[in-house]
Amino acid sequence: MNNNYYLRYEKTENVKYVSHLDFVRMFGRALRRAHLPIAYSEGFNPHPLLGFALPLSVGYTSECEILEIALTEELSTEEIMQRFNRVLPDGVKILSVHEGKSNMKKLDIALYQVFPEKTPAGILEFLAMDKILIEKKTKSGIKETDIRPDIKGIKVTLGKIEMTLSAGSRNNLKPEVVIAAMNKYIAGYNSGDCRYHRKQIFDLEMNVI
Amino acid sequence: MSSLQNLDKLFSKVQKATHYCGGELNSVIKNPEDVKIRYAFAFPDTYEVGMSHLGMKILYHILNKREDTYCERVFAPWIDMEEEMREAGVPLFTNETHTPVKEFDFLGITLQYEMCYSNVLNMLSLAGIPLLSSERGEDDPFVNGGGPCAYNPEPLAEIFDFFTMGEGEDVIGELMDAFNEWKEEGGTRKDYLKKIAKIEGIYVPSLYDVSYNEDGTIKSMAPNCPEAPVKVKKRIISDLDKVTYPDKFIVPFSDIVHDRSNIEVFRGCIRGCRFCQAGMIYRPVREKSADTLVKDACALIESTGYEEMGLSSLSTSDYTQLPELTDKLLALTEKEKVSLSLPSLRVDNFSLDLMERVQKVRKSGLTFAPEAGSQRMRDVINKNVSEEDLIKSATLAFEGGWNSVKLYFMIGLPYEDYPDIKGISELAEKVVECFYKSDKTNKRRPPSVTLSVASFVPKPFTPFQWAAQDSIETLSEKQLFLKNEIRNRKIRYNYHQSDVSVLEGVFARGDRKLGKVLLRAHELGCKLDGWNECFSLEKWEQAFNDCGIDMEFYTRARDYDEILPWDFVDIGVTREFMINENEKAKQALTTPNCREKCSGCGAAKLCKEKKGCVCFE
Repeated sequence: MNNNYYLRYEKTENVKYVSHLDFVRMFGRALRRAHLPIAYSEGFNPHPLLGFALPLSVGYTSECEILEIALTEELSTEEIMQRFNRVLPDGVKILSVHEGKSNMKKLDIALYQVFPEKTPAGILEFLAMDKILIEKKTKSGIKETDIRPDIKGIKVTLGKIEMTLSAGSRNNLKPEVVIAAMNKYIAGYNSGDCRYHRKQIFDLEMNVI
Repeated sequence: MSSLQNLDKLFSKVQKATHYCGGELNSVIKNPEDVKIRYAFAFPDTYEVGMSHLGMKILYHILNKREDTYCERVFAPWIDMEEEMREAGVPLFTNETHTPVKEFDFLGITLQYEMCYSNVLNMLSLAGIPLLSSERGEDDPFVNGGGPCAYNPEPLAEIFDFFTMGEGEDVIGELMDAFNEWKEEGGTRKDYLKKIAKIEGIYVPSLYDVSYNEDGTIKSMAPNCPEAPVKVKKRIISDLDKVTYPDKFIVPFSDIVHDRSNIEVFRGCIRGCRFCQAGMIYRPVREKSADTLVKDACALIESTGYEEMGLSSLSTSDYTQLPELTDKLLALTEKEKVSLSLPSLRVDNFSLDLMERVQKVRKSGLTFAPEAGSQRMRDVINKNVSEEDLIKSATLAFEGGWNSVKLYFMIGLPYEDYPDIKGISELAEKVVECFYKSDKTNKRRPPSVTLSVASFVPKPFTPFQWAAQDSIETLSEKQLFLKNEIRNRKIRYNYHQSDVSVLEGVFARGDRKLGKVLLRAHELGCKLDGWNECFSLEKWEQAFNDCGIDMEFYTRARDYDEILPWDFVDIGVTREFMINENEKAKQALTTPNCREKCSGCGAAKLCKEKKGCVCFE
């Protein structure tokens, strides 16, 4: 019987350009270095049993990433955290380890922090729009999509924009798309280059995952 | 020294930012303030190619073991990154600390193939370092070249400040020590170059003058100062068990060409194929003991977590302790769930059994390298493989459950004729036939035979260094001829671009006069020539035309009494041996391999230790 754990980790500036798939492979190698007794899948090409919550876009940082692992032995959560953190490259750190499975299948909403060169003077008019139409490239050409329903909230503070957006497999809205819409619809606004950070993930009832 | 800021703006715009930003596991972080020497190690091609190169890992490790030295990496940026850099005015910088390469003490460039020469110039230009050695000032880094192409460095003589001939593990430290001494002495740039010219294996081109005959051939080449030796002798490591080998490899985040840890089984090759430069310049064969290799493998699995371990050598089957090594390695890799990759294996009962144990389930493809189609031609090139051997191996492979085999060949070889080329398709037919002849093969899946046909490039320090190289037209004709000979649909035919091969041959056997062609090609925008999407024969032809230089001068046959541009380098193997081998080639006579019988090539004298060296078995 395998022992399930889930880990919360952060991805910081040093490694923000590493793509999700490369990150998955990085964790596989880190597990070997850590000598953690990871369970492997059955079949011709056994691979370590790892599960990730929500892929993070290239260039984003995060403090709320979740990784599920299955071990063939029972280990204390402190032991797992220590062994992992000893072998991870700079910029990736396990923040906490928990027993059992996470609720990541229920993931529905994410909170992002965006750090633009310039923040908009006000956001109310933008949020009051009935529809926020953006152009989306699909296989069949360019399509107009309304992103308003996927914006749960936006808060502007000094040098920072916080956005609560739909996330996960049902609807997923990226903060960079919202920034593009703000540049388009807020008169005279130009965000300049932005940094993106994922702060928290929630289920539909806004319970932290 | 300053590390560049605001690179984020560039990184966020390019496709593969992890190729430039550093921070990989096991990359070395030092405080630049704490060291005396800063060494930028450049691989003049993209990150995924350069990071697969073993030599760079070794020298990076050795330099960084020194407390007084910090070695960092730099690669040729891909087109998108170069555009961003040029637009933002950002100079070439290292991956580790993002320091401009121009601020380093050394820029070491490894020269693995001729088609990277344009990248060397492009990287110098991106770095803001003068392209010509003679134009560099006291504040510029010393530009140092090494690797197989450095054995004929003459096309790059005006660009590099010096070259290192042979294996770099020992000499690199001597160069650093000399640098410290020179700093204390307070000499000029030229003083340092004269100082290191006295170190064995170092070639400083500016300390030599070359004069030419009216027909463009070399009249003489001689040192112009007492410090420079008439002959530059290559360096080798005598005892591979004692030499430092990295216990850590940098583990890239993104996929690279050879994404695995590697152990180096031996250097050199006993075979003596007459076209093969590696088989001559790395002589004599020196082996590592199985115990050392297992120790190396353990350390690498522990430090990298790589899921694959490769064995590196020119011909794995020729390793004398192979059964012992693979037993021990398999015990280790099975425990750690690491897969073992065994390139360059000759197919026989032992190796098939081994592959069975290594691969367990997947039976992808097997590769054979007969190199030439007819027996006569295989004797000419001294590839001691008979048709019988090949058919036996292929039958064994098919019976073992492999259904696809790949065969490597060359066309354009010296003394070749059309029947020899036809022999390639005939041989391929026989391989297909042997699948059906045996009743032990799996007939439910039809066999597939892939022919991969390269164009021969004559290389310095081979018995074929005097041979003519076929023109682009002749090579294309031969490729087409072979294509028409292949009628079996189970045979697939792949071939390389012949124009690249000819250009490669021109620079491989080039002289100092080609320096200006390189400069002109750089002006015309040649770069990343190893990449099909970037290579432009038109631009190269224009560069040759603009300089009034004829490519045919370099593809022609040479006489034994002509002074060759690389004659000043002593690789141990004698000129007499090469001539004798070429004469035997003309008569299709073979030479036994080093283990069967010593042919007295001259390399034995290089080895100070007898342990592990084939010459003293």
